[in-house]
Amino acid sequence: MIQGFLDDFQLCFVKNGRYDYLLSGLGITLEVALSAIVLGLAIGFLVAVVRSTHDKYGKFPFLNALARIYLTVIRGTPMVVQLLITYYIIRRSIDSKVLIAILAFGINSGAYQAEIIRAGIASIDAGQMEAGRALGLSYWRTMLRIILPQAVRNVLPALGNEFIVLMKDTSIVGYIALIDLAKGGDIIRSQTYSVYLPYLTVAAIYLVLVMTFTWLLSKLERRLRKTGADVVRNDL
Amino acid sequence: MNEALLKIDGLKKSFGRLEVLKGLTTTIAEGEVVVMIGPSGGGKSTFLRCMNLLEQPTEGSIVFNGIDIVAADEKTKNKVRSEMGMVFQHFNLFPHLSILDNVTLAPRLVRGVDRATAERKAMELLGRVGLAEKAKAYPQQLSGGQKQRVAIVRSLAMEPKVMLFDEPTSALDPEMVGEVLDVMKDLAKNGMTMVVVTHEMRFARDVASRVLFLEGGHIAEEGSPKELFGAPKSSRLKEFLGKVELTEVRQDKDL
Repeated sequence: MIQGFLDDFQLCFVKNGRYDYLLSGLGITLEVALSAIVLGLAIGFLVAVVRSTHDKYGKFPFLNALARIYLTVIRGTPMVVQLLITYYIIRRSIDSKVLIAILAFGINSGAYQAEIIRAGIASIDAGQMEAGRALGLSYWRTMLRIILPQAVRNVLPALGNEFIVLMKDTSIVGYIALIDLAKGGDIIRSQTYSVYLPYLTVAAIYLVLVMTFTWLLSKLERRLRKTGADVVRNDL
Repeated sequence: MNEALLKIDGLKKSFGRLEVLKGLTTTIAEGEVVVMIGPSGGGKSTFLRCMNLLEQPTEGSIVFNGIDIVAADEKTKNKVRSEMGMVFQHFNLFPHLSILDNVTLAPRLVRGVDRATAERKAMELLGRVGLAEKAKAYPQQLSGGQKQRVAIVRSLAMEPKVMLFDEPTSALDPEMVGEVLDVMKDLAKNGMTMVVVTHEMRFARDVASRVLFLEGGHIAEEGSPKELFGAPKSSRLKEFLGKVELTEVRQDKDL
């Protein structure tokens, strides 16, 4: 049995340098996931602030309407379909599949992150904005320096969850023939007819990725907790 | 009388259909300590919050530094606010910042003061209210009275021309009220112009140069503490004073 496993291992990962499918696939997975997280954060902050500002002060009616359409469409359609549409729309102008995937996943994740961050902004006591404004800070400066740092701290677990989901969701980039970790394992399976070892290995690598990420996030959370209250309202 | 710092004329404020301020006119002179008393819902806090435009008045004018700030643009309003300190009932310290950063944030961001200078000034002010050793602490580690003293220091760091106090002791445990009032008395003694909304009648009696009795969105009565507390004219003020004095007597007995 051990011999069988070793033969399988040899066939799947060593022969013809097949381990490279997993290695370069892992690189693609990380590149797409991390870039999409950053893009999603940028979109998320923007949309969340527009939505919050509109809900509170009635400003930016046009941007707010746009943001709502964006949220509805992105959250109402499957990721795979969004990826394919993005691919066929822009593949003529952008020929990097990695970039296309980053765009598709970033735009998708931005919608979810926007709602998470908006919840975080709503969780901050109105007195915080008032205190900032009373000191002479502009609305945007108060938002940036007072509200958002606290908002993000409050929703970090939810954001972390979204990052993890996004990281695993990138395993569908095979649909646009991008060879990521999952697709790499699939190729090995198709070349070797060995099923379990490639897929289980791929699963294990994802698991390690997510665990590492979770660990990093909890470290960040602890650090933020240390520098301040875990209560939202500082008067309680 | 000193020069007028704030000239308020015909100030009205409505929230939807509810008219909270129904045309207030008064002038606050430099160095004055104006205390606003009255039943809740009478418009005291709203009036105070209109003075630094946390609430946008519906009608009327507020002249500060020679300009009508009600009609001013956003940039001017920010500048005006930076020259008025405000202390809130619930302190509203920034929980994610240390005490020192709470105090230095606005001078650095709004005034462009460099960090070292801002921190030196902050430490001096914190020392004055006896909280220098808390500079590195965070708001949640402080008692209510300490938080409110920090909040006062945070406003003072901007060297305001006037300080607005919105029920600064109402959220405090009784034994911490004194330490905050002491800081405020000190400020008054040093000539700070102050507008104070409070239920502390003793503070009004001892420190105020003028008392406004707000009721139903009007300034129902105003005058020196001696006039208002000694010889209230309207029946509403008599009734109000009767109620609060009863509670004060009760508190005295408790002590």
